[in-house]
Amino acid sequence: MFGSESGVEVNSVKILTTNGRGLTPEEVATLCVDRIISVSDTAPEPMRQQALAYKENIRQVLIHYMAMAAAGERTTLINKLAESGYEQAANILKEI
Amino acid sequence: MPAPTQAMCTSFKVELMQALHNFNNPAGNTFNLALFADAATTAAGFGAATTNFSEMGGSEASGTGYTSGGAALTSVSPTSSGTTAFTDFADLTFSTVTLTSSGALIYNVTNGNRAVAVLNFGGDRSATAGDFVIQFPTADASNAIIRLT
Repeated sequence: MFGSESGVEVNSVKILTTNGRGLTPEEVATLCVDRIISVSDTAPEPMRQQALAYKENIRQVLIHYMAMAAAGERTTLINKLAESGYEQAANILKEI
Repeated sequence: MPAPTQAMCTSFKVELMQALHNFNNPAGNTFNLALFADAATTAAGFGAATTNFSEMGGSEASGTGYTSGGAALTSVSPTSSGTTAFTDFADLTFSTVTLTSSGALIYNVTNGNRAVAVLNFGGDRSATAGDFVIQFPTADASNAIIRLT
């Protein structure tokens, strides 16, 4: 049963928008690491700095592998377009 | 016209006690997130008193790449930490859209489009031929999007 101090609470969301492009590996990595690691503003400072440093290390790893995944998918698309006779489209993708 | 007021819908609190909302994944209800239009277009009164998606009407966002009703959320089954129960959703991306939005409505598609919560984005947010991403807060007892304390 709910106690006298219980409540139902809704928190805020963050919004990220882009114009004329999709999300970059850096942006996706930041979204991802924010979901994995949350560092309290009120945590003791040495622990907070250590946690933030760890979070940034994870973000850098994610950026690397996100970029690898994006590049791999582009390679596949370039090949598919070239095989289908769309050399011009394939060349546009190569330049991204 | 004001932007929607962030609130847990009062009707949702009643409906929780009526077992009308199931956030389990799998085997739970389907919840959607629909975007409100910009603050100037959104009608007054959206907030705790909102009961159903059908009330959005002309206050819902419109634009290239956006479909009325919004998009389905991926639920994370409810859990608890200490004396707080909470649930979560995966981040949601509206891809290749052109629109401006001041907030959102989470609602239960499975059970009559009943409203769950109204979200305020803290101002109009726009995407032009790009992505509009809703990032949910960390799923823990202090930050999760929906918490019972």
